Amino acid sequence: MPNIREIKERIDSIRQILKITNAMYLISSSKLKKARKALDSTEPYFYKLQETIESVLEHTPHMRQMYFDRRSDIPEDKRKKGYIVITGDKGLCGSYNHNILKYTDKLLEGDDPGNCYLYVMGQVGRMYYQRRMMSGKQAFVDGEFLYTTQNPTLYRAAEIAQTVIDKFSSGDLDEVHLVYTDMVSSSTQENRTLRLLPFERRHFGKSKDGTEKKLPKASFAPSPEKVMDYLIPNYAKGIIYGAMVEAFCCEQQSRMTAMDSATNSAKDMIKELSLLYNRARQAAITQEITEVCGGAAANRG
Amino acid sequence: MAKTFYLEIIATDRVFFQGNVEHLVITALDGLLGILPGHEPLVTCLPVGELKYMIEGVWRYAAISEGFIEVMPDRAVILADHCELPEEIDIKRAEEEKQRAEEMLKQKQSIRDYYMTQAALNRAMNRLKVSQKKFK
Repeated sequence: MPNIREIKERIDSIRQILKITNAMYLISSSKLKKARKALDSTEPYFYKLQETIESVLEHTPHMRQMYFDRRSDIPEDKRKKGYIVITGDKGLCGSYNHNILKYTDKLLEGDDPGNCYLYVMGQVGRMYYQRRMMSGKQAFVDGEFLYTTQNPTLYRAAEIAQTVIDKFSSGDLDEVHLVYTDMVSSSTQENRTLRLLPFERRHFGKSKDGTEKKLPKASFAPSPEKVMDYLIPNYAKGIIYGAMVEAFCCEQQSRMTAMDSATNSAKDMIKELSLLYNRARQAAITQEITEVCGGAAANRG
Repeated sequence: MAKTFYLEIIATDRVFFQGNVEHLVITALDGLLGILPGHEPLVTCLPVGELKYMIEGVWRYAAISEGFIEVMPDRAVILADHCELPEEIDIKRAEEEKQRAEEMLKQKQSIRDYYMTQAALNRAMNRLKVSQKKFK
């Protein structure tokens, strides 16, 4: 039979934790509401942007342009790949960080760690990869790439886009991918990768019967190259912003769910323990009564 | 030929406008550009600038910052960072932003910061310009 005092202490400590998880639940649910609102207003832009760019590219005449340069003269194992990974700033959000890190690990698996460059947003991911970088078996992490994932802003997205585009044009990177968590519905999240650079062009989209679609060429003012010079950084910024908003919303969602289930299991534990506590207390009382009765009987006799 | 075309203006923070318009005038990289229904397919960029579109003979104005437009004969899509109606612009804030940017430009900055401040100044000045429209 466990000690009454021990059980009491345990119940008290669980109550304390419960208070914390419950507070975190409330905080994250109000943050989620804000993030949701941002997501709802950004989502049309995010999807329309991808859609429009696709249709713009379909109408683009062939051109030699820096952002389309696939650098196919560089062999597959020599290509320098950059990954922008969006993780959370804090833990305690269920499997959110774990999932995105596992997913990224899998992506990096086939590549030579020497040619991978990670641009990690969010403390959790940065710490994870920096620690692994120190042990020498993981990709290089840019230590100067310090951005928080909380309350995404367009300004931050623009800075990030500028950083990777500079790296790409100076030849420090040959490919840039964006890894983030997408909010499919309020209960399902999915890890996604998007290739930012070089730009993929489906010159002639194949229609269903296999014939090539004939698409009218659009005119570009002032010139296709000029437009692309301007449009692609803009596109990168928009996509990064959209991904940041999605990821932030996912983080809050997972934290809310995690804290909700933590609160629930704390409540369950308290219930079980108080049962145990009552039983122990009853047993102690019964024992005392028996002792008193026994003592009295002995005295009488 | 149809008298109107379908215009969508989508900013990063909201869907700004969706509907049929008769005439659209944008500020493109090299000057003003008017778009009527049946325009040839066109893609161009929009720097920070002013935008107006006509619905039932009435011009509406908006301030727009950095984006691009895709025009097809029967529709047009504008994707921009921000888009505001003249009524929505906070003149005081825009003025403060302008002053701040001007002060920053006087400091020594890296080239990248310089461009960023210049863009901020552009945005503020554009807002102030468009905000005058509502009194007309």
